Amino acid sequence: MIKFILNGEEVTSNANPNERLLDVLRNEFRLTGAKCGCKEGECGACSVILNEKLVNSCMVAMGSIEGSTVMTIEGYSKTDRFTVLENAYAAVSAVQCGFCIPGMMLASERILAENPNPTEEDIRRGISGNLCRCTGYNAIVEAIGIAAKEGKGLW
Amino acid sequence: MVKSYLATSLKEALEIRGRESITPYAGGTDLMIEAHDDASYLFLNKIPELKQITVDDEYIRIGAASTFTEVYQSKLVPQILKDAVIEIAAPAIRNLGTIGGNICNGSPKGDSVLIFFATDSKLRLASSKGERILPIKDFYLGRKKLAIQDDELLVEILMSKTGLDNYYYKKIGARNALAISRVSFAGVLDIKDGKVVNCMTAFGAVSDVVIRRPDIDGMLIGKTIDEAKAVKEKYLAAFDEAIVPIRGRVSAEYRKSVCMNLLKDFLESNGI
Amino acid sequence: MEAISKSVKKMDHDAKVSGQALYVDDIIMDDMLYGKMLRSTKAKARIKNITLPNISAGYFVVDKNDVPGENKIHVVEEDMPVFPVDTVEYVGDPILMVVGPDKKEIGKILSEIVVDYEELEPVFDVRKSDVSFFHYNYAKGDVDKAFEEADRIITETFETGHQEQAYLETNGLIAYPHDGRMTVRGSMQCPYYVFGAVAKAIGYDKKDIQIIQDVTGGGFGGKEDYPSILACQLAVAAIKANKPVKYVFERREDIEFTSKRHPSICTYKAAIKNGRVTGMDIDVTYNSGAYTTLTNVVLQRGIIGASGVYNITNLRVTGDAKKTNTVPNGAMRGFGAPQTFFAIEMMMLHIAKELGVDSLKFKEQHMVKQGDATSTSGQFHFHVPLPEMVERADQLSDFRKKRELYKNQTGRYRKGIGISLVYHGCGFTGSGERDFIKAVARLKKNADDTVEILISITDMGQGAKTTFSKIVADTLGISIDKVIFANPDTDRVPDSGPTVASRSLMVVGQLIKRAAEKLKVQWKSGEEQMIEEHYVHPDFLIPFDINTFHGDAYPTYSWSVNVIELEVDTLTATTNVLGAWGVYDVGTPLDLNILHGQMQGGFLQSIGYASMEQINYNEKGIIRNNSFSDYIIPTSMDVPNMVTDIIEVPYIEGPYGAKGAGELPNVGPAPAYIDALENALENRINHIPYTQEDTMKYLQEVAK
Repeated sequence: MIKFILNGEEVTSNANPNERLLDVLRNEFRLTGAKCGCKEGECGACSVILNEKLVNSCMVAMGSIEGSTVMTIEGYSKTDRFTVLENAYAAVSAVQCGFCIPGMMLASERILAENPNPTEEDIRRGISGNLCRCTGYNAIVEAIGIAAKEGKGLW
Repeated sequence: MVKSYLATSLKEALEIRGRESITPYAGGTDLMIEAHDDASYLFLNKIPELKQITVDDEYIRIGAASTFTEVYQSKLVPQILKDAVIEIAAPAIRNLGTIGGNICNGSPKGDSVLIFFATDSKLRLASSKGERILPIKDFYLGRKKLAIQDDELLVEILMSKTGLDNYYYKKIGARNALAISRVSFAGVLDIKDGKVVNCMTAFGAVSDVVIRRPDIDGMLIGKTIDEAKAVKEKYLAAFDEAIVPIRGRVSAEYRKSVCMNLLKDFLESNGI
Repeated sequence: MEAISKSVKKMDHDAKVSGQALYVDDIIMDDMLYGKMLRSTKAKARIKNITLPNISAGYFVVDKNDVPGENKIHVVEEDMPVFPVDTVEYVGDPILMVVGPDKKEIGKILSEIVVDYEELEPVFDVRKSDVSFFHYNYAKGDVDKAFEEADRIITETFETGHQEQAYLETNGLIAYPHDGRMTVRGSMQCPYYVFGAVAKAIGYDKKDIQIIQDVTGGGFGGKEDYPSILACQLAVAAIKANKPVKYVFERREDIEFTSKRHPSICTYKAAIKNGRVTGMDIDVTYNSGAYTTLTNVVLQRGIIGASGVYNITNLRVTGDAKKTNTVPNGAMRGFGAPQTFFAIEMMMLHIAKELGVDSLKFKEQHMVKQGDATSTSGQFHFHVPLPEMVERADQLSDFRKKRELYKNQTGRYRKGIGISLVYHGCGFTGSGERDFIKAVARLKKNADDTVEILISITDMGQGAKTTFSKIVADTLGISIDKVIFANPDTDRVPDSGPTVASRSLMVVGQLIKRAAEKLKVQWKSGEEQMIEEHYVHPDFLIPFDINTFHGDAYPTYSWSVNVIELEVDTLTATTNVLGAWGVYDVGTPLDLNILHGQMQGGFLQSIGYASMEQINYNEKGIIRNNSFSDYIIPTSMDVPNMVTDIIEVPYIEGPYGAKGAGELPNVGPAPAYIDALENALENRINHIPYTQEDTMKYLQEVAK
C-alpha cells in the first residue's frame, strides 16, 4: 500500500513497489494523459511532475514515491497556468498528433516555474527530453515564449 | 513476494543492505530500463545523509543520492562537474538520476564519472560494520565490475576544494540532448607561478573503464610551460599508445581521433 | 492572403492538450485480452516443427491454422501471409500470436514455445539479391546519342539508408467480435485499406466488418500498410478467442519489426555537352525487404522523380526493387522521392563542381519551366515558381553571399551553406485516383443544421479535421462550431481513399468543397440532407500509361527550395545546424499555422534522415539499434528555429487552389544539408546518413 498525493488528493495505490508510476497512473487510476512512448526515459511522453520536478513516470518505481506529490496533465489542466499555456499552444497550432503534448505541457510548466522569462535556449533545453516528431519544435518553443509574456505574474 | 524498503536513515539502509539480497535504488533511471518484475529494491532517495552537499576543511562532499539537478544547482559544486552534469540526458532524467547511480552503474560512459576520475575524487563507502574511502580509480575493476561489497553502499563523493578552476571538458554524443556519451574528455591543469602544479586527464566512453593515467600526466607536473612544450610529443605519444578504444558500435578510429584531438587542444589552449 | 488561409484554433486542440483525447492504448474493453507475437529468430528458415507448452485456460495460440479466410494480407499484392505457412523470411517474421488476459503469463508462454528451424541461406545485401520483386523502365529522347555526342560523361552512385517513422505513438489496434461482426479500431491512416485486408483474411461479408480510426499519434506512412498486417493477425485472434484482443507495440518491437523507408542505391550517368547536361541514364535499386507491401508504388514514384526539377530531354531510367531477408520496407513520408531527389540534387551539384561552375547557377540553367515535358513525357501544365523561390530563399538566408564566404576555411570550426530544389508530385501516381480509389465523399446535414463530414480521411496530427471543417464552414457560411468531423468509422463513411500521397486536401477536399457548394444551394433548414460527391479526373491530363511510364504521372506538383547552414567542429567531427530555411509552394494554404507546422515537422525529419538516423543490421539480419536511445531523432536542441515561407501558385483543381503539402517538406532538406557539409568540408559526399564517423574519416584522410 503506497500513499501519495495525486493531483492534490491523498490516494493509496495497491501497486507493488517496483511497478512503474506510469502504469499505475494509467491502469489503476485510469489517468491516461501520461503516455508510454518508449518505456526507457528517452521520449518524455510519460512526463509528470513529481515533488515539483519534471520526471519520466516510466522511470519511477512506486516504492520510491511514498509521501510524494504527483501532478499529471489531468490535475494541471485545472489550473490558471494551464489556461495561459494552452491558449498559447492554440494560438500557434502547436498541437499536431498530440501524443507528446501532455508531457510537453508539463515540461513547459516547469520551464516557466523555474524561470518566468526564459530565453529561446532555456526553452529548448527545458523541452529537450520531450521528443516530438510532428512539429519540428518551432511552434512549441514559440508557444512557451508567448505564455511567458502573457502569463505575467502567474509564474 | 516482492520486498522493498524505503529507508529514512543511512543506518537503516545499511542494516537492510547487510541483511538482504537487495538492489539499491537511488534515482532509478538506469534500473528501470530493464526492470525485472521480481526485483527487490532498497530505495535511497529519501535518506538525508545521502543527499547532503557540504564542504569541510578538506573536501567538497556530495551525497551519493544527490540528483544531477541538485548537484547542478548547488553553490558548492565545482563548475567542471556542473558542465558535465548539465549534458546528461534531459531535465526529467536529471531530476531523478543521481551521481551515485551514475558511478555504481559501472559504465565508462558515465558523464559525472569522467569528472570524478579527472579530478582524482574519492568515494566514501559504508556498511553497517564500518566505512572506507578509496580513490575512484580503485573502484572500477573492469567493465561493469566494481570494488563494492554486497553489504556496502556508496555514501559520498569527495572532491578537492582547490585546483579545479582551469579545466577542459567535452562530451560528444549522437545529438545535443538525450545522448549517451560516444567519446568524452576532461582535463584539469593547475598552473602556479608559471609551473604546472597538477595535470589530470581522463577519457570516457573509450575503454572498459574511464582511462586515467596519472603516470603519463605526471610528465607535465613540475614543468614550466616551455618545459612542458618540450615533452609534448612524448606526452601525446604515450597517450596515443595508452588509448586503445574497444571495438563497439561507435567506430574505434573515430573515438581515438577525437581523444587525441581534444587532448592536443587541451594542451594548446594552455599554451603548451 | 486568401481568407481561408487565416489560422484558426484546431478542432482537436482541446482534447489533446488536456490529455483527454483517447488513443487506442487508453481504451479498455470488458473481457479484453492482450496479444503478443512469437517472432522468427532466423532471417530465412523453414519451420520444421513448433512445440507448444501446456497452455492455461483462457490463453490461446493463434497461427496459420486459425485463419478463417485466406491466409494472405492484401496490401497491393498478397505475398505476405497472415501467419507463415512454412517459411520465415526475416528476423521478426510473426509466426504465431499468444493471446490471453495477463501479459506476464503471455510472456511466459512465449518463452516456452520451441520452434525447430531448418536454416536456409538469407540474403542481406541488396546488391547480392537475385529476386527482383519489380522492374520498371522508361525513356524519352535518345540517350545513347546524347552519350555519343557528349564532351564528358560523369558517373556516380548515391546511397540512402533506412528511416524509421518514429511516430511517438507506436502501432496498436484492438479487434473485437460482436453480433457476428468484427470490428478493428486503433491507430491507422487508411481505414479502408484495413477493411479490405481484414475482409480477405477472415472471410466475412463486407457488411460484417467495421474499421474505426482512433486518435492517432503520428503516422508518416508507418501506419499506411502496417495496420492492415496487424489487423489481419488480430482479427483472426479475436475470432479464436471470441473476445476483444488488444495489441499495442512496445517501442523496441515497433522499431525492430515494422516497415521503414526503403534504402536505395542510385547510379547516375550524365552526358555533358557545352557545359550542359544533355542526357542521363539512371539506375535505381530499392531494398524491398522480405515482402512487397507498397514497394512497387514507392519505386514508381522514385523513378518518376529521378531527374528532379531539371529538364533532361534525353532520359533513360530503370528501377528495381529487390528482396532481402530483412523487415519489409513500406511507406514513409515522401514515399520513394527523398531517395532519388537526394541523388539527383547531389549529381547536379557534383557535375557543377567537376565543371568548375557555380552549382546554383548550374541548377538554375536546367530548371524546368511551365510547358516543359516531365520525365515521363507529361507536361508541367502550370507555372513553376522555382526562380522566385530561389530568390526568396536567398533573401531569407543570404545563401549566395555565405556560399562565397565559406570557401577555403581553415579554422577549427567550418561553416557551410547548402541549397536544394525539389518537387513533390501531388496525389496518386497516374490514374490511380480514377481507376483504383474512386473516392467518394459525403456531407450530411442534420436536422439541427449541423453538418457532418463523412470521409475516410484520417487526422493523424496534420490537421485534416480542421482544414476540412474550414472548407465546409467557409463554403456554407456557417460557424465552424457547426461542423462535425469524427474519426472515420467504415460503418458511417464511404471510401474516400487512403490518407497518403499528399492527396487528402487536393482530392478529397475538393470533393467536400463541391458537396458543400451543392448543399448550400439545396439547403433546407431543419431537415436532414445528404450530398454525395464522386471523384472526377481532371481533363487536362495527358493520360498516364503505367506500363510505359508515359504521360502525366501527377496532375500537378508542389515545389520547395531548402537552404541549410551548419557548422562543423573539425576536432570532434560534430555538426550543428545553425540555420534552416524553406520556401514552399503548395498552392493556397488552407490554414497558415497548420501548413507551417507541417513544413517544419517534415523539415526536421529530413535533417534527421541526412545526419543522425540509421538502422544498423548485424550479420544475422537483426536490427541492433532498436530503441529510442540508439535510433536517434532530433531533439529541440538539435535544430534552430526553422524559417518556413510560402509562395502561392493556386491549383485550379484544388479546393481554394490547394495542392498536396504533407510530404513535400521531407524531400529537400537532406540534399541541402549534404550540400552544406560539402561546402564546409570541401569533400564529395554520396551517401546519407553522413555521420560523425564519416566526417572524421574524411578529416583524417585530408590531414595525412
